Amino acid sequence: MPQAITIEDILQRTTDLPSMPAAATAVMREAESSTSSSTSISRHLRQDQALSARVLRLANSSYYGLSRQVSEVGEAVVILGTRTVRHLCLVAASYPWLVRDLKGYELGPDQLWRHSFATAVSAGVIANHSGSADRDVCFTAGLLHNIGKVALSVWLEGKTSMLQVLAERAGMSFDEVERKALGFDHAQIGEALAEQWNLPSALVQAIRYHHEPNACPIPNSVVDVVHLGDYLATTMGYGLGADGLRYRVYDESFERLGVPPERLEQIMLEFMEIYEREEKVFEPDAVDKAA
Amino acid sequence: MGMGSCVGLVALDPESNVAGIAHFMLPESLPDKPVDQPGKFVNTGMEHLISEMENLGASRDHINVAIFGGAQVLRPGRSLGAWAQIGERNVTSAKQHSERLGLTVVAEDTGGCQVRTVQFYAESGQVRIRIVGQDEKILCNLRVN
Repeated sequence: MPQAITIEDILQRTTDLPSMPAAATAVMREAESSTSSSTSISRHLRQDQALSARVLRLANSSYYGLSRQVSEVGEAVVILGTRTVRHLCLVAASYPWLVRDLKGYELGPDQLWRHSFATAVSAGVIANHSGSADRDVCFTAGLLHNIGKVALSVWLEGKTSMLQVLAERAGMSFDEVERKALGFDHAQIGEALAEQWNLPSALVQAIRYHHEPNACPIPNSVVDVVHLGDYLATTMGYGLGADGLRYRVYDESFERLGVPPERLEQIMLEFMEIYEREEKVFEPDAVDKAA
Repeated sequence: MGMGSCVGLVALDPESNVAGIAHFMLPESLPDKPVDQPGKFVNTGMEHLISEMENLGASRDHINVAIFGGAQVLRPGRSLGAWAQIGERNVTSAKQHSERLGLTVVAEDTGGCQVRTVQFYAESGQVRIRIVGQDEKILCNLRVN
């Protein structure tokens, strides 16, 4: 396949590129401002009813372990704090494009969401075991790690089988075959999108290096957590497409996090328990009712 | 069901017409953890499946099984540690426990790094496998041994 397109082409010419809702961008900008308050953040969030409804669903999920249900975004901001709501907002904002049908990767509707949510949950569990990374940041980074696939999918349509065969013959991983065929991979597209949205650098790096944690120029435990979280969700078969398990796993990530690899099976069991409880958090019916 | 490193098993006793299907995540239950859901592990899950089939009239001497799944990620230029060989260990465990329980393994489609989905037609005994991105194929018939 000729290297006919660039990352810029993908960002400029892809119709229906994943975008951040204006309210989510406003909340993130406000959260970083020195004058932000729970009132100003709630005001921005209330501008988007669907987003607010999803933030409430998340806030009330057992993941956050609130002692009582919150029914209003202002209350959620006061109880959970500005920082956490900023993450909830990113998670809630990403839901509509993570449930898309991605033919280029042979991922049916909801499959990328299933994989991303599984990666987010396992990243949260691994962060707890490591103690060296913020659980909420890892959860959000896990959820967003494959945003590049949402943009790249349409460009792979009709070429997926060829890439599968090429990768199998050459013993390459799927990100390697993307780089060979296109000159870049879905992680690099994800990085470009994340930079466009002005996401914090820890998230941008986790998206960029989730398949190549050893290549990350600055040590960042979120990168290692997301690499292993992605491995865990992949190996357990959550939301996989034509690229399947065709990725590499680097045990240096365990070393850097100070987590013994032998603990993986215990981590998997903890993951399953949380995932089974939380996977329905954004079921369309539930969101509609909340809205 | 889509399978990664998990191992799946379909079982049929053609004489009593009792069939079963299961999907296990890990090869063995952890020694220091109580097993709340036996179906998560090959050792406890297979025992449970076969005993349920026997309760419905099957006899383990007549049970034919097919094993599938057990994929794993690529090696990063050197050997994968045992921790990353869950797929391989799941398949080995499924075969060992099949032998221990006296079941006949008729066919398997395991390993590699592809995602598999399986359809089992209990009435005809046919087991069909599809690797994501490829055409469906017939793996075996559990009524014909």
